Amino acid sequence: MKRYILTAILTGATLLAQPVVAPTAATVGRVRGEDVNNYNVVHWFETGYRFHSVDGNRGRYRSDVNFGNGVRLLQSHLTVHSKEGHGRLFDEIALNTQGLGNDPYQSSALRIQRNSLYRYEMNWRINEYVNPGLTTGTLGGHFLNTRRQLQDHQFTLFPQSSFRLFAGYSRNTQDGPGLTSVQLFDSRGDEFPLLAGIGRRQRDYHVGAEVGLMGFRFTVLRGWQQFRESTPYRLEGPSAGVNANDTTTLTSLSRAEPFEGSTPFWRFLLNRETRGWFSANGRFSYAGSRRNFLLEEAAIGTARFGAAQNRQILVAGSGRRPVSTGALTLGFHPGQRFTLANHTAFHQVLMDGDSVLRDFNNATQLANVLRFQSLGIRTVTNSTDALFWITPQVALYGGHRFSTRRIRSREGFASGTFSELFAATQQNRLHSGVGGLRLHPTRAVSISLDSEIGRADQPFTPVAERNYHALGGRAQYKTKSLLLAASARANYNFNSANLFRHSSRSRNYSLDASWTGRSWISFDASYSKLHLDTLTGIAYFAAFEFLETDRSFYASNIHAGTATVRLSLPRNTDLFLGYSRVQDVGDGRAAAARQPAFSPVRTGPEAFRIAQTFPMSYDSPLSRLSVRLHDKLRWNFGYQFYRYGEDFTPGMGYRAHTGYSSLLWSF
Amino acid sequence: MKFTPAAPAFSYSEKMRVRLWSIFLFLGLLLPIAGILRAGQASASQSYVGSSACKTCHADVWLNFYKNAHYKSLASGKEPPEKTGCESCHGPGQAHLEARGGKETIQAFSLLSPPKSMDACLACHADQFSRFQIRRSSHTQASVACSNCHSIHKPATPRHSLARQQRDLCYGCHAGVRAQFTMPFKHRVNEGAMQCTDCHNPHGAASPAWRMGVRPAMTHTSASGEQSCVVCHADKRGPFAFEHPAVRVDGCETCHSPHGSTNPRMLRRPVVFTLCLECHSGAGNFGRRRDGISTQSGSHNMADPRYQNCTTCHVRIHGSNADPLFLR
Repeated sequence: MKRYILTAILTGATLLAQPVVAPTAATVGRVRGEDVNNYNVVHWFETGYRFHSVDGNRGRYRSDVNFGNGVRLLQSHLTVHSKEGHGRLFDEIALNTQGLGNDPYQSSALRIQRNSLYRYEMNWRINEYVNPGLTTGTLGGHFLNTRRQLQDHQFTLFPQSSFRLFAGYSRNTQDGPGLTSVQLFDSRGDEFPLLAGIGRRQRDYHVGAEVGLMGFRFTVLRGWQQFRESTPYRLEGPSAGVNANDTTTLTSLSRAEPFEGSTPFWRFLLNRETRGWFSANGRFSYAGSRRNFLLEEAAIGTARFGAAQNRQILVAGSGRRPVSTGALTLGFHPGQRFTLANHTAFHQVLMDGDSVLRDFNNATQLANVLRFQSLGIRTVTNSTDALFWITPQVALYGGHRFSTRRIRSREGFASGTFSELFAATQQNRLHSGVGGLRLHPTRAVSISLDSEIGRADQPFTPVAERNYHALGGRAQYKTKSLLLAASARANYNFNSANLFRHSSRSRNYSLDASWTGRSWISFDASYSKLHLDTLTGIAYFAAFEFLETDRSFYASNIHAGTATVRLSLPRNTDLFLGYSRVQDVGDGRAAAARQPAFSPVRTGPEAFRIAQTFPMSYDSPLSRLSVRLHDKLRWNFGYQFYRYGEDFTPGMGYRAHTGYSSLLWSF
Repeated sequence: MKFTPAAPAFSYSEKMRVRLWSIFLFLGLLLPIAGILRAGQASASQSYVGSSACKTCHADVWLNFYKNAHYKSLASGKEPPEKTGCESCHGPGQAHLEARGGKETIQAFSLLSPPKSMDACLACHADQFSRFQIRRSSHTQASVACSNCHSIHKPATPRHSLARQQRDLCYGCHAGVRAQFTMPFKHRVNEGAMQCTDCHNPHGAASPAWRMGVRPAMTHTSASGEQSCVVCHADKRGPFAFEHPAVRVDGCETCHSPHGSTNPRMLRRPVVFTLCLECHSGAGNFGRRRDGISTQSGSHNMADPRYQNCTTCHVRIHGSNADPLFLR
């Protein structure tokens, strides 16, 4: 009997993402596929036309959404399976693609395998990223319009055997135009825009083997990563800079900054799992990263007071960055009720160089000597976690984490007869405890409560965790047709030092509901509130006055909601409706009460407290209609609207109408 | 100018050594106790009947089973009965057959507690590197078992036998993360360009020792032992002659919200200079020299908007090969 895939996804309650309108979440063709010789084939393709129209800030639209016009292979699916598991060349081919043609987000995944002999897997992706110099409150000078391509290939020989060989290759490129800036000729000089042709390449090759013997499994992996960047920079022509009241000028500038590096690495793994009560595994990896770099910059212009400038900077050198990591995990799980796991990990990295960098100024005939800043970080961490099921319905868990991190730093600088050298060492120790309760009073209900408290004695930055604690809980009721869930989590961190305080509070709440009451309808809704407020001591110069008693207060209250409805209507028609909204209400005050990022006429303790809210809203309703014309053919039409608005920076909002019409077909 | 020869780089302190040995001794004592507890448990029945006995009643499962990843065990014909076909997961079927069905007569996953369910899967899958940390993962501690995400008989995805699309599975519990991915600035997960597993390992991961080893949980470490961000963002990896130490010490999350944000470039603050000033206050004993992270120079007038976008001049903020102030 022929059975067809139900076109809408109505097979149980679950929380779904608010997807982009296309591709269509539907399939066509026989659910069991077609038999061809000794293989079974399932396939479908969706081809169609995307369209869009944007009012408002088009650059912002490209940053957030970026769908354009044109014909696309919106999605495709192909699986071929041998029916006996003894195919001559292969037993399985699985190919899935999305957005091929010209979508900004394209991907394809392929797997080919023959049982017990080989397996080949491939992932290929394109991600177009646009940033039209977006910053909040100030003008941004950095544009980016790049295409990133990532591909991964992995081949495994004898995948089901106790002896496996594998090899892989990955490639990651980023290309496209960019706009950056350079600041010349002194610390108060002007900024000048520079065009950049971004070109980055990373390749990764690795080979390895895995052996299972006497209950142990040993893996060795040898890999090589290569990175190369050669981004040319160009000044379009003589420039007066971006600040009208600054007299610095730049007549010409040339800069070349190629650098390349390689990271050969080893990784060793050892695993032992004695069924039921004991497991042990270890990992060690070493990567000897190295980069060679060169920078040559020649700039000609005039300084702020009109003096001619002719500056050349030549920097050449190499850096190395060996990284050693290791981990050992021991697990004890006698019986089904108790699990104890201890995990020790270390990570050691040293960033160092054997180069001396020279910054030579043609105009003044002075040379600065800049030593490579050496930075070494070693972290050792140990965690012990226990999980105890008191009854099948009640479990307790608890754990302790300890980390110690040592940082060693060396810096050197010389200019003329003046030289400076500085070395420092510091150690941070962190103890934290976690605990929680798991309740499953019935099969449908689950409740979890979590807590954590931690203390660090020497955090590296003022905003890092020092004295912190967190409380969280989640309750869920789930049956085949209904899911109700609620969760809450609060994180508090307090980091204080002499004359300085940083406190951070985040509180997240969420409510979710999903219902699949009938075969023709499903409903899904979610609401989250993400609250964050931080109060941080800051110090800065304003109008030549050093202010060090000010505080930065940042408040964010984000409400995010999503709701979707799926309907299977008569006449083989499916309808999908969705709405998503994100709104940051800031600190809750009316827009008129808010001030710009910084008030130049008002410095002092209140200046930043006023500034730090960012009210915005981002809506996206969508609808999609899908009609089954034939067992192997569907027609789809979708529309999605985007609206972005913010109170902070004028001209940032946009409204976009996007949509598509497509045919989903199988042959 | 001379550099002082470096002392032995990172030797363990005596205290640390004592602590580690104490832990190992404690765990060593647990070994025999665990063995004794284990010895008291009854061994499972060994009455295997073979998968062909199952297809009579479970025809719907059997008809598609050749597409299942577990079909390999049947196709090979070399696996022992406890690792072949239906009984490799559901246990010996003799009693089930004789009773003419019934969930109580066989290992039915819908009746198994999370630990038992996980044990059944790990009997074969424990030896894969990606699952080495599953016993201590946050998911296991939250009693999330394999069958919460994987559907062996009705998978929704051609790979990994997932019960739903991956993002929908994750969003099912992580509603706050779902909200972050609906924000204007985000990694493209909803658009299908990325997946949660590009950065996270849902089966558990080693402690993120490239930070302080506590958070983020279940995050991949790259093959060369570094945080997962640099796998794609290789240009930020360095080594740089002048590193921005916060990036190396506390990771990218010092400044960025990796899931999504309402702020451009997924920054933690909407306005760039406030993000910078929160660390560059000169206060306390923070920073690489332990004397406070340097404040800006007097040439900066923060009352002038020109100085409020720090990265206009400090363009190489992730690290530079040519300038300690990241100007080029």
